[in-house]
Amino acid sequence: MNYLLHILVMIGIYLILTQSLNLVMGYTGLLSVCHAAFYGIGAYASTLLMTSWGVNFFVALIASIVISMLLSFVVSIPTLRLRGDYFVLGTLGFQAIIFGIMYNWISFTRGPYGIPGIPSPSLFGFVFDSPSSYVSLTTAFALLTVGFVYLITSSQFGRVLKTIREDEIASQAIGKDPLFFKTTSFALGAGVAAIAGSLYAGYMRYIDPTSFTIAESLFLITILAIGGSGNIKGPIVGTVILVVLPEVLRFLQIPDTVAPNIRMMLYALALILLVIYRPRGLAGEYGFE
Amino acid sequence: MDLSRRTDNVPTLEVKHLSRFFGGVAAVNNVSIAFTPQRITALIGPNGAGKTTLFNLIGGYIAPTSGAILLGTGDLTTRKPWEIARLGIGRLFQDVRVFGKLTTLENIVVAFPNQVGEMFWQPIFQRAQMMKMERPNIERAQALLEFVTLADKANTVAENLSFGQQKLLAIARLLAMDAKILLLDEPASGVHPAVLDSVMDLMSRLVDQGKTIIFIEHNISVVLELAHWVYVLDDSEVVAFGLPDEVIHDRVTREAYLGV
Repeated sequence: MNYLLHILVMIGIYLILTQSLNLVMGYTGLLSVCHAAFYGIGAYASTLLMTSWGVNFFVALIASIVISMLLSFVVSIPTLRLRGDYFVLGTLGFQAIIFGIMYNWISFTRGPYGIPGIPSPSLFGFVFDSPSSYVSLTTAFALLTVGFVYLITSSQFGRVLKTIREDEIASQAIGKDPLFFKTTSFALGAGVAAIAGSLYAGYMRYIDPTSFTIAESLFLITILAIGGSGNIKGPIVGTVILVVLPEVLRFLQIPDTVAPNIRMMLYALALILLVIYRPRGLAGEYGFE
Repeated sequence: MDLSRRTDNVPTLEVKHLSRFFGGVAAVNNVSIAFTPQRITALIGPNGAGKTTLFNLIGGYIAPTSGAILLGTGDLTTRKPWEIARLGIGRLFQDVRVFGKLTTLENIVVAFPNQVGEMFWQPIFQRAQMMKMERPNIERAQALLEFVTLADKANTVAENLSFGQQKLLAIARLLAMDAKILLLDEPASGVHPAVLDSVMDLMSRLVDQGKTIIFIEHNISVVLELAHWVYVLDDSEVVAFGLPDEVIHDRVTREAYLGV
């Protein structure tokens, strides 16, 4: 039972991550390879606030959103003025820098030793320390995220994001400031990713930098490529498939020594087939080109 | 949307001694034109004469090497493209540039300026106000689609329209953003003859309503039929200008452009 609950918690956390990346990639058309960095910033910011200053989880979560959004401007303001390729390079650099800080600034983050003993979230005396209670917490935040992304994208704001995705020059020609909309979308994506990081830290009660590598960023992109993006259902489909798939593989009794490699080969095969036959993913609106 | 309403007080768009060099090569060289408001001005000339570069300069997509771009008393020279668009200068691109994955209706609605819901917090905290504004916007968009004879394509995804229909849609988008000065880059090229009549009729109706139209065109019969003024560009400079009949029969024009 706990095993199933664990999968549900991870689906909830990944749904938050992929919906936030969906805002950046699927709606705005920005290929970001540093989403795991914002996930990590959320996890580390809330963890350090809770463990060093005894701040309540929910207060730390809000603070981590603000920190993550502010740090997003470090990447977006200089790079989003330039062509798309520079933005990708900027996000790659940011991912490397944030990982470097998490890994090497040992006096602050404990580096590769990680931070253990993270307190479970508590609200009005109720502690979310059981798998079932954590499922409700992550599901509530996942639903809030889906609702948030739906509300802001089913609006003029969302339409303008799509115009930037479709043709930035034409978007300017109708009087929209692409820099404003792109930095806003990127900051919102970063802020929501920080929620996932805080929830992950509160759930695992231990974090280290290996959870927030570029491989994780690429995994999130893979989820959107397979499930689809540019609408609400694509990331949901992708998240469920790619979070559950490794668990299914466990039941095939493939030896642990080769299982991760087989998983990667399956992802690669799925990506190749989708790019050829269904570039919009299984349920998405926006196609990767 | 009252599509019969006249646009009044259109300021004069003027370029003064405008030049743009690319690595020492002049794309536009010392061009000065004051475009007459509420009239149709055609820019003609051979390929590479600098016509589209002039549009790119006016639209803010590239910065001039020297010279100035003025709208009434305002200086546009260092403005960004979206700022220039908000001042009422709309651009139809040669390759049209509709928002392919959006429907025809969405292509229009998104272009209306100053909408509630454009800031990310408004869809959450001002949703009722946003929804209230959405209904008249959709009605205005449908009226515009009717104006450009695309009413039956409202829910068609823009990338599925023909090239000519995409041009009509792009012009309707300029009207949605309330552009008073329209820069149309080859509105007649690549268009089916039946749609070409619609495009020409539309341009006439727009100027009757008080819009200023500046268009680049290679089809001389379209220029003769529509333009009030014609400027001929050759080798990045203005080599002739005047009334269409005079200019087309001018010796310099015939040598530079028509090759006769």
